Amino acid sequence: MRCPILDLPLSDDLDILRAATLRFTQREWPIEKLRAAADGGPAIEAGYVQRAAELGWFAALAPEEDGGGSISGSGLVDAAVVAVERGRSLQPGPFVPMNVVVAALAREGSPAQRAAVLPGLMAGTTVATWAAAGSAGTWGAGEAIRWARAPGGYALAGTACLVQDADRADYFLITAGASDGISQFLVPAQMPGLCVRPVGSIDLSRSFCEVQLTDVIVPDDALLGQPGTAAAAAAEHELQVACVLTVAETIGAMEQDFQLALQYARDRIAFGRPIGSFQAVKHLLADTSLLLESSRTLCDAAARAVSNGDAGPELASVAKAYVGDSAIQLGQNCFQVFSGIGFTWEHDHHLYLRRLTMDAALYGDPAWHRTRLARFYGLPDASISDGDGHGAANR
Amino acid sequence: MAQPTADLEEYRDRARAWLAERLEPRRLDDPAGADPAHWTQERDQRERAIQRILFDGGYAGIAWPKEYGGQGLTAAHQQAFDEAARGFRVAEFGILGRTTWGICVPTMLAHASPAFLTRHVPRVLAGEELWVQFFSEPEAGSDLAGVRTRATRDGDRWILRGSKVWSSGAYYADYGLCLARTNWDVPKHRGLTWFAVKVDQPGIEVKPLRQLNDRSEFCQEFFDDVELTDDDVIGEVDHGWTVARTMLVMERQVGARTRMRPVAGGRRPAADLVSLARQAGREHDPRVQDLIARAHILDVVQAELSTRVQELAAAGGRDAASLACYPKLAAGTGTPARALIGIEIGGGPGLTWPGGASPPAGVSDYLGARAQSIAGGTNEMMRNVISERVLGLPREPSYDTDRPFSEVVRRAAEWGRPEGTRGKAG
Repeated sequence: MRCPILDLPLSDDLDILRAATLRFTQREWPIEKLRAAADGGPAIEAGYVQRAAELGWFAALAPEEDGGGSISGSGLVDAAVVAVERGRSLQPGPFVPMNVVVAALAREGSPAQRAAVLPGLMAGTTVATWAAAGSAGTWGAGEAIRWARAPGGYALAGTACLVQDADRADYFLITAGASDGISQFLVPAQMPGLCVRPVGSIDLSRSFCEVQLTDVIVPDDALLGQPGTAAAAAAEHELQVACVLTVAETIGAMEQDFQLALQYARDRIAFGRPIGSFQAVKHLLADTSLLLESSRTLCDAAARAVSNGDAGPELASVAKAYVGDSAIQLGQNCFQVFSGIGFTWEHDHHLYLRRLTMDAALYGDPAWHRTRLARFYGLPDASISDGDGHGAANR
Repeated sequence: MAQPTADLEEYRDRARAWLAERLEPRRLDDPAGADPAHWTQERDQRERAIQRILFDGGYAGIAWPKEYGGQGLTAAHQQAFDEAARGFRVAEFGILGRTTWGICVPTMLAHASPAFLTRHVPRVLAGEELWVQFFSEPEAGSDLAGVRTRATRDGDRWILRGSKVWSSGAYYADYGLCLARTNWDVPKHRGLTWFAVKVDQPGIEVKPLRQLNDRSEFCQEFFDDVELTDDDVIGEVDHGWTVARTMLVMERQVGARTRMRPVAGGRRPAADLVSLARQAGREHDPRVQDLIARAHILDVVQAELSTRVQELAAAGGRDAASLACYPKLAAGTGTPARALIGIEIGGGPGLTWPGGASPPAGVSDYLGARAQSIAGGTNEMMRNVISERVLGLPREPSYDTDRPFSEVVRRAAEWGRPEGTRGKAG
C-alpha cells in the first residue's frame, strides 16, 4: 500500500529497522487486537514492551556507554522511523514517554540514576512515563506540579493530566515548578501520596491517566540534574523530543488513513464511475496529500533541528502546530471521502481519527505551540498583562 | 559525479578574485526587479554590459555545453560561482533573467537543433538576447494545448497570427518562445509547434498591462502576419507538446527556487508581519501573535517542501515534474492566506496611507497574492496533476483529446444547446 511521494529514501540500516518494526507491529498488535481490547478484551501484556525493546525502541536516545546508541548518528531520527510505523498501525504502549525519560536520563541523570533505571528501560522490563501537563492541557514546564524543599528531601504536590500509561509505570519523570524555578524528579510509582487514576479518552489505542500528588515526599536522590535554568533547559529538550516523536507517530497514522481513503475512492462506484474520478473528490484528495507531505517534511526538519540543536525549539513547535492541525484536517477530509461507511464502528477510519485528534493535543496543542512561537519573533509575552487590557488570554 | 572539494574551492576563490577586479560590490539599495519604473534604457544597457564582462571572462553558462558558448562544467561549479558572486553586482535581468536562463534556454537545449542553439545560446550568454514566454492566450491558459494563435505555411515561410498574454517582461525581451497551432485537423496536442519570434519586427505589437496592484509586469502581444522561417522552429513541426512538457517542468522548478522566503533558525521569521503588528500597535494581542505564527508556519512549509522536491529531483528516480506540484500548490494556497493575515493584522488603518505616498507592501501583497494561485499553473491544475499522476486516480472524461481541434472549438460553442439546434447559426 505504501508508495513514496516526498519521503526521503532511508539508509539500508534504517530501512532494516523500519521493516523489523513493521513485522513486529503486524505480528504483535494487528488492528484486530486493538478492536478486541477496545471491546474489553485483553490489553497489551508486559511481553509486548519487552519484545519491542529487543528491536531497540527505547535505546536510540540512550548514551553508548550505557548500552544505547543510534544507527543513523541521530537517536531521534532512528526513534522517529519507529514512531512512523507505530502510528501506521496504531500501536499501544508508552513509546513517546519512555523515550522522553531515556533522553532526560541521558542528559541529566547521575551515574547512579542511570545505572538504576536505564538498563530496565532499554530492556522494556521497566516502564517510565512523563508527568508534565497541567489540568488545562498546558505543557509549560512546571505548571502541573509544584515542588518545595522538605525535611529529608522534597515535597511534590499537584495534578498532572494526559499521563500516558501511568497505570503501568514503574517510574515517573516529574517536571515541577516553584518560585525558585523548575526542578525535575525521577519518582518510583510506589510512593505514599501518589495516586494514579485512569481516564477514558477519545483515543482507543493508548491509555491515559491523571496523576495526583498529595504531599509526596521524595528523597534528595530523586532530583534529576540541577534545579533552575538547567532543569528548564532539560524540560525544554524533553518537550522537543516528545513533539518530534508524536509528530512522527501522527505521520504514520495519517499515511494509513489517507491510503484507505484513496483506495476507497478508487473502488467505490457512483454515477457509473469510481468516485475518485470526480474532480471534486480528486481535488479534496490532492489537498489532503499536500497536508500529509508537508507534515512529513516538517517532521524530518524538526527531527534534524532538535538533533543538531539548531533551531530545535522553533522547528519542534512549527511541526507540532502544523501537523496537529493538518492531521485533524486529513482525518476530516478522509471521513468525507468514506462518507457513510466512516460512521461505522467496523471501519478503521474512526480509530485513526481518534488517535490523530489525541496526538494533536498531546505535548501542546497547535494553539499552545503558536503562542510559544511568538517568542521567536521578539514579540512581548501576551500572557503578561500590561495594564490596559492587552493580552490576558495566554493558554 | 561528485567534484573534489579542493577543485571547487579553488574555482570559487579564483572566481571571487576575478570578480573583485571587474565588478562592483553589491549594494543593498540597488533597485532590482523589472517594473518599467525601474527598467530604463540605461538600466538595460548596463545589465547587458555586465553580462558581457562575465561572458568574456568565461563565467557565463558555466554548466552549459561548450559548443554553444558555455563552459561545460558541472552544476557544482555553477553553485560555487554563485556563492562567489553573492557579494558582487552581477547582471540582474529581473523576471526575464529567470525565464531566459531558467526556462527558455534549458528547454531549447533539450529540443532545438544544433544550428538553432549555435545561433542563439552564445548570444544569450553574452547578454544580447533576453527571452520571454509567448505561452498563454486570451482564450487559453490552463488548457495550454488549446492555444489558437496560428502559424500557417506559406511557401518556405510561416505566417503567425493571433495574440499572447500574461507574458511577463515582454517589453524588454529580444525574443519570444512562442507556441502556435500549425495543424487544426488533428487532436489538439498533435498540431502544435514552437517558434522563436524576434520581438522587434513588423507585425508585432507589445502592450504592457496595468495590473490591479498598479504594477505592470504582464504584457499582451498582437501578431499580425508576422513572418517566420523553418530556422525559427524549435523541436519538430506539430510535435510541440513534447517541448511544452519540458517547459512546464522547468517553469515549476524555477518557481520553487524563487519563491523561498528566509525562514528558520536565527534569521527573522515573518519579519514583515512582526513590523506590521508593531506599526498597528497590536504586538501584545494574542490573536495577532497567533496569526503571525500561522504565517511563519506557512513560510516554513513552503521552504521545506521546495528544498525536499529539489533534493528528490537531483537524486532522480521519481517523477520530479509531478512532485514539483506540491510546493507550487503550497504557495498557491499559502500565499493568499498569508497576505490575508497581513490585512487582518493591519486592520482598517492598514488599508490607508498618507496622501501622495505609495501603498504599503501589505496592500500590494494582498492584491497580488493570487498570482501564486494562478501563474505557472493554477491550483486546480496542480491538484489534477497530483491526483492523477501521483495518487493514480482516474482521469476525468475528456471531450477534446481525440477529435480534430477545429471540431473541438465548434462543438464547445454549442455546449449545452439542445440536440436539434446544434450546427445551426444563432
